[in-house]
Amino acid sequence: MTPQLPRLLRLAAFVAVAVVAAPLFSLLWRIPWSELPRLLSTEVVADALFLSLLTSLAAALVALLIGIPIAFQLSRMSGLPASTLRAVATLPMVLPPVVGGAALLFAFGRKGLLGETLDNAAGLVLPYTPAGVVIANAFVATPFVVLTIESGLRALDPRYELAAAALGASPLRTTLRVVLPMIRSSLVAGAFLAWARALGEFGATITFAGNVPGRTQTLPLAVFVAMEADRDAALAMSLVLVFVSLVVLVSLRDKWWPAR
Amino acid sequence: MSDQLTPILDCRVVVERGAFKLDVEVSVEQAEIVALVGPNGAGKTTLLEAILGWLPLTEGEILLDGRVLEGPGENKSVQTHEREIGMVFQDGLLFPHLNVMRNIEFGTGKSLENVNRLLTALEISDLVDRYPKELSTGQRQRVALARTLATAPKLVLLDEPLGSLDVTGRAVARKLIGNVLRKTGAGALVVTHDPADAFALADRILVLENGRVTQYGSPDQIRTRPATKWVAELVGWNFFEANGTGSLARLSNGTEIATAHSGLDGPVVVTINPTAVALYREQPAGSPRNSWHCRVESIEFVADVARVSLVGPFDLSADVTRAAVAELGIDTGSAVWASLKATEVGIQPLDG
Repeated sequence: MTPQLPRLLRLAAFVAVAVVAAPLFSLLWRIPWSELPRLLSTEVVADALFLSLLTSLAAALVALLIGIPIAFQLSRMSGLPASTLRAVATLPMVLPPVVGGAALLFAFGRKGLLGETLDNAAGLVLPYTPAGVVIANAFVATPFVVLTIESGLRALDPRYELAAAALGASPLRTTLRVVLPMIRSSLVAGAFLAWARALGEFGATITFAGNVPGRTQTLPLAVFVAMEADRDAALAMSLVLVFVSLVVLVSLRDKWWPAR
Repeated sequence: MSDQLTPILDCRVVVERGAFKLDVEVSVEQAEIVALVGPNGAGKTTLLEAILGWLPLTEGEILLDGRVLEGPGENKSVQTHEREIGMVFQDGLLFPHLNVMRNIEFGTGKSLENVNRLLTALEISDLVDRYPKELSTGQRQRVALARTLATAPKLVLLDEPLGSLDVTGRAVARKLIGNVLRKTGAGALVVTHDPADAFALADRILVLENGRVTQYGSPDQIRTRPATKWVAELVGWNFFEANGTGSLARLSNGTEIATAHSGLDGPVVVTINPTAVALYREQPAGSPRNSWHCRVESIEFVADVARVSLVGPFDLSADVTRAAVAELGIDTGSAVWASLKATEVGIQPLDG
């Protein structure tokens, strides 16, 4: 049997849970349940919900495409180079999202380092477009992919790759048929976390993509605007975000940080 | 079949890792099973990994069936997956996300005929739909062997293939593995820590100690002429370093052992087969010059043989029959005389 915790610690845990749960409870307390269908079907909310789902899914995909190669590279490095690359790759996780959005503007804005070239060469303009929302979301979501997948790769016995090579499998075939399937729980966890992070994104999005209803106004932005104009609509949209986040976290359980 | 004189594997492998240096020359003939034995840390697994191309050579050359895989003239070495060398790992290392059949097919083209033959030969036809975690250790080992042989490698490396099996499983698996390996015609290099495996399975035994080959020969050669203390202990022989003068070998404590050799001069290694040591309750009358008064330290029985460990002027093991122990009435602590004919004393030059 698991030994019992000291009474004081159990009491402290109870209080802490209450503190954490209080805002959530208060939110649920204030929700106008009977009004919910009407509130969630207004054009602004429906647009924001649709845009959020679309951009967060696209961002999760982009985060995987960017994060997986970085994670593979990191898993083969050690010492200072590894720490440096890891710091750069996970910076958006610690950085205030507004700073991230500003940095994206300097890179992909019309006058940005890369943005000007993109505009001239391909007529591609990212800021204040739905594509810009995806870029901003992917920027903040990628670190979750990098960390979970690197951790999964490091936990994998490298001799499996040797075994595959000794069976005549090329490095590409080994990666596709052995390594990726063997770290699939990390892949799933990384994808879900990236998606959840993208869904809740606010600061980088509003800085880089603006807040245009029906175009770049995602659910969190719509909540922010509605807090001033229509509290009930803000509550309804918050409920959607809380519900989605809880479902993701509960279904991932403790898989989000695989044991080493 | 190709020329018997061309070995399937011919290599000199030098790998330096900090203070440890592996420097080994090995050749393996077609359809030959070579056992690789040696104390822990001798470099056995390092040698396999180097041959496989997982560890770069510091120096040396690897030829497989005449093809240079790695060598001084080649600025690029052949990658592991293009070497046509298979490896069976101690714990099998089956891919956990694939069932037995998909594991075995992983490295094959479409030679299903070969796969079916292996499934039958290794008695795993019934397991094809199972996943690795549903197999016993012995089954996993056989699937791993099938998976490797299905790719028809020219050389198979096996790292302690029997290491995780219990005693009864070992004997059966040893026989099965030996039979299947011989039928494929590939060369095989088998790392084992159990001399029983080496002697039962191998055509030749390569002894690796501290990164060097100390002996390479047939099981009979190893058994009858062990070259180092470790090999002597492996096969149960007594082994002493001594100083030779004429026909006498003098141990460091002054004990003299008479030999049938002559003209000895300087450091030598004395080997004594424990079956050549005779035991008596009374001092033997007559000729044997080599007779020593000893105390019985312990007696171990293996089948019909009693291994008697003696403490006297020097430590000595004697193998006598179970009946002889009863007849002599000896037990731990008994005093006995051990004697040995001069012709039974082996002498080897001290080197390495």
